[in-house]
Amino acid sequence: MSDTPSEDDAAFARVTTGIAGLDTILQGGVFEGGIYIVQGAPGAGKTILTNQICYHHVAGGGVALFVTLLAENHARLIANLRTLSFFDEAAIPQRLSYLSGFAELRDQGLKSVVDLLRREIQRRRCTMLVIDGLVTVQASADSEQAFKEFVHSLQEIALATGCTMFLTTNVGDEISPEQTMVDGLIVLRERVGGSRTDSLLQVTKFRGSGYLRGIHSYQINSTGFLVHPRMEALLARPSRVDDFGTGRTSLGNRRLDILMGGGAPIASTTMVMGPSGVGKTTVGLQFLSESSATEPGLMFSFYETPARLRAKADAICPSLSPRLESGLVELLWQNPASDVIDAYGGRLLEAVRRRKVRRLFIDGLTGFRSSALDPSRVEHFFAALANELRALGVTTFYSLEVADILGPAIRAPIDDLSSLAENLILLRYVELRSQLYRLMSIMKVRDSAFDPSLHEFVIDAGGLIIRDTPETAEAILSSLASNGAQVRSAPWQGATSGKDGDRG
Amino acid sequence: MTVVLVVDDEMGVANLLSDVLSDEGYHVIVAPNGREALRRAGEQHPDLVISDLMMPVMDGAQLKKAMEAEPDLKDIPFIIMSSMPEATVLEQCAGYALFVRKPFQIYGLIDQIKNIVDSNSSA
Repeated sequence: MSDTPSEDDAAFARVTTGIAGLDTILQGGVFEGGIYIVQGAPGAGKTILTNQICYHHVAGGGVALFVTLLAENHARLIANLRTLSFFDEAAIPQRLSYLSGFAELRDQGLKSVVDLLRREIQRRRCTMLVIDGLVTVQASADSEQAFKEFVHSLQEIALATGCTMFLTTNVGDEISPEQTMVDGLIVLRERVGGSRTDSLLQVTKFRGSGYLRGIHSYQINSTGFLVHPRMEALLARPSRVDDFGTGRTSLGNRRLDILMGGGAPIASTTMVMGPSGVGKTTVGLQFLSESSATEPGLMFSFYETPARLRAKADAICPSLSPRLESGLVELLWQNPASDVIDAYGGRLLEAVRRRKVRRLFIDGLTGFRSSALDPSRVEHFFAALANELRALGVTTFYSLEVADILGPAIRAPIDDLSSLAENLILLRYVELRSQLYRLMSIMKVRDSAFDPSLHEFVIDAGGLIIRDTPETAEAILSSLASNGAQVRSAPWQGATSGKDGDRG
Repeated sequence: MTVVLVVDDEMGVANLLSDVLSDEGYHVIVAPNGREALRRAGEQHPDLVISDLMMPVMDGAQLKKAMEAEPDLKDIPFIIMSSMPEATVLEQCAGYALFVRKPFQIYGLIDQIKNIVDSNSSA
């Protein structure tokens, strides 16, 4: 046997599952020769998950064996798999075989099943084995000790053959003996909230490596199993050091840049808040209109479709249109509430990294919030996302709709805005003598002086135009006060949760 | 029939080796420690011993020395297994036919066992 120091002391090799989110959670995949339990209720997707891992494995040159211990028809199993894009008929039976151990188990017992598996692994030189239906073995075992010995025998075979094993079971949440013996445990479960059901994956044990703890989302579609690592866990530490200096980025509006003290700090996060229709999207489109080859732009939108956004750009932000045409700015529209929050986050970061985006406009921040079944994690999600975007050098613009349409008070629908936005811009309507006016105020700019005065603005074919001096806003507010309304000195304080939706 | 004595306190390893070697046509005897192995070796004169190093009662190094002291047993090829590096094993035990680092891969081990048995029987 080989005994070179480098080989002797090397850790076990990783075996990727081919399921991107799962490999991320496992920090590179499972370990060769390890034995892993996939646990979940019927219908959770255990068979799809383990089949997908097998097809990925054989595509990479491995040899896999899928053994069912239930009285299951393999033709039906394969027919169901045929609908999934990872299925590869050509892999069967040379590289991936389906065998039944049901008769062996029923007629000969556990030792005979162990012998069958070992001989098949040796004969085929299998590097991956799935045993679908471990619960059948458990039910067939004369005692708990006999079942443990069965699992232990599998461990020895896995180690001696380098064959990585997955055992599926639908045993519930209680700690069972096999869970204490194996190298890893992947639990699939569902959580119902209202009329919606979230599919959740949790790795509760993984020997030999760190992994992303906590609950992650998964989906099953025509491509198979998709896992979305929980963003807060994935980005617990930003992927790189935030070293983008202290420069400024133009917001695409000269007056707004001046009010902000010279634009937004590079790689900072700016939130523009205001009621529906006040002009939040317009501010964001102007920000994107400064995109260039060195500062690629991305609009991540939940509400207005790309066609409507293009029409809007043509109407009120003409300098953006050629950038959309040339691809300097990408529009990525998401159907709100059709996906899980981490799926949106993953797509956003992928698009940012793919094009090295430097200008990002997220139009409709509550689109993220409404996709989270667990509202308690939304602030953590945003904080992690904002930290990563900063680290990637992305200057980010968010729009956030507030519930109050008119008047000086606002109620933000997301708590702890400070962790999310370093710069805050408030847009609002004021109604006076049958006329709606729009007012803008800068509430905060990171580490910088800024103009805190209120300014009236209008939106026309030239886009968002801010009055040069605050006098018009003062005149509006003076008239408003004389008509009986009160103006709060710090209208953003005491913000409480409001309602969804933030189209500008 | 070629007789192989497998000595390991880890019964999972011993049973696996026993099953694999039985499939290859060997007659396999299993012992959980060196003392029991020495007794079984005296009774059955195996053609090959495959022994773990670290075991209770009598370890693999002590077993090897004890067999070397017995004229009938001293020429039996001895394979030593350990999870320790070979350099560490050599400090305690020498003169073995093969060192097998645990965890081992069964495929190569079967071939090596065959070679040792064949060369010893033709000698």
